[in-house]
Amino acid sequence: MEKKDQKKPALAVQNLTKHFSGVLAIDNLSLSITQGAITSIVGPNGSGKTTLINTLSGIFKPEQGTITVQGRTVPPLHPHDVWHHGITRTFQNTRLFEQMTVLDNVLVVLTKRSVIPSLLETKDDTHYDQAKQVLAATNLWEKRDQLAANLSYGQRKLLEIARSLATDADIYLFDEPFAGLFPKMVTVVFTILRSLKQEGKTVVLVEHDMDLIRKISDHVIVLDSGTLLAQGSPEQVLSEKSVVEAYLGQ
Amino acid sequence: MDVVFQIVANSIIAGSLYTLIASGFTLTYSTTKFFNITHGVMTAVGAYTVFFLGKILGMPLLLAIIVGVLFAGLLGWVLNYFIYQPLRKKNASQLSLLVASLGAFTAIQACISLAFSSQFQTISHTAVMQKTFSIVGASVTQIQLIIVASALISFVSLTFFLKKTRFGTAIRAVSDDEEVAKVIGINTDKVIGIAFFIASALAGLAGILIGFDSAIEPTMGLALLMKGVTASIVGGLTSIFGAVVGSFLVSFVENFGIFYTAGEWRDAIVFTLLIIFLMFRPNGIIRT
Repeated sequence: MEKKDQKKPALAVQNLTKHFSGVLAIDNLSLSITQGAITSIVGPNGSGKTTLINTLSGIFKPEQGTITVQGRTVPPLHPHDVWHHGITRTFQNTRLFEQMTVLDNVLVVLTKRSVIPSLLETKDDTHYDQAKQVLAATNLWEKRDQLAANLSYGQRKLLEIARSLATDADIYLFDEPFAGLFPKMVTVVFTILRSLKQEGKTVVLVEHDMDLIRKISDHVIVLDSGTLLAQGSPEQVLSEKSVVEAYLGQ
Repeated sequence: MDVVFQIVANSIIAGSLYTLIASGFTLTYSTTKFFNITHGVMTAVGAYTVFFLGKILGMPLLLAIIVGVLFAGLLGWVLNYFIYQPLRKKNASQLSLLVASLGAFTAIQACISLAFSSQFQTISHTAVMQKTFSIVGASVTQIQLIIVASALISFVSLTFFLKKTRFGTAIRAVSDDEEVAKVIGINTDKVIGIAFFIASALAGLAGILIGFDSAIEPTMGLALLMKGVTASIVGGLTSIFGAVVGSFLVSFVENFGIFYTAGEWRDAIVFTLLIIFLMFRPNGIIRT
């Protein structure tokens, strides 16, 4: 992974455009994500939030525009490349390795990436300790031997977050991490996000809960129909009348 | 009573051969989710490589066997790299992949026929490992014991590899959700390529062992593929253990079936079992 430069934005996109069957999901979008801060992306359904996350994580290829990671413009990203750029993500609809245990869901990201060494690599204590650490942080250590498919909705969300923590990435893209969680689980995720910030990591949240956004975000970006509508501090952006009336339903 | 023991022995030997084929088929199916027909022809590739190197060129038999297994594995990797992987990247449907693999199967089989004729052949000049043992009243040859041992070693090795190595965990992750596996940094193309290599090498080994036990012909792959696929489906298509269970169920039903009917019913019995499973237990015996 590349060395971080605190002066450069962690992520930036320039003139990013993405269509789906004639529908413009992201329209010539340019924005930057501050290094070491928690940035929330908000906007109504269809505003392009998840499309942006999917593009930043290499799942969608933009038709136009550039992506800059830690100040360096990167070629079109492939999903398996994003890890090399220090990026990890979670999904809006949780996606786990269902037929693997909770522990293996975390251990799998600790695998060596090059093929030959990983062929002969066996589970060792270092990996086990790292997995234990992230599972303990998400209150899932007791569930380590259960199949992921048997977890509750909230536990699945937490496991996906644990898996992303195990990557030790620099940039975390969380797509609605609080959605559907019990208050106790919300506190767990809240604490994790705060810890990531304290460690100097960059966190990007797609979230709908305005109270949570106010409490946790350093920066808020509002999207509308794939374009940038507003950005700034939570107080500034969320009090803008046009934003509140049109997109936040308050 | 001796007849029953002989049928049991025959079932174990056939089940061992099906295990080698079904394990590989399950491995590629679980990682790519397509019906790889070329898996069957790898049996002939392995067998004819040993035939060519050992019988025609006079290479030491053990060396020829090792090269035969590796060549079958390599050809599987090459087919994936040059045909299936580009098709997957273009989001080709499972049907397109199936048709492509049928084309590759036919082409490889034709090449073998052109090079070595369509006749039955023995894999070496002299009978190898044909010493017969009597075990609980059943006659078993040395090569048949090696077939059983090969299947057992392959199953244990593959299970250890998938469960205990980090790369095995990566294969299971790709089987579960390829896109998420990519996002967490796994190079799924390489993982699938190695899955093809392992699967094709196992099929090649099965073909070589069949060659030493009986005879080889260029079309030997299709019948073996159908038995292996039936075993995989009966076993659930998702685990190596399921493939083993499916293989032995198929072989026992097949061998006891022809004992009570006639040899001509062999394939009909196996495919009746397949239809019964598809109708009443489509997810197989080992459900995950």
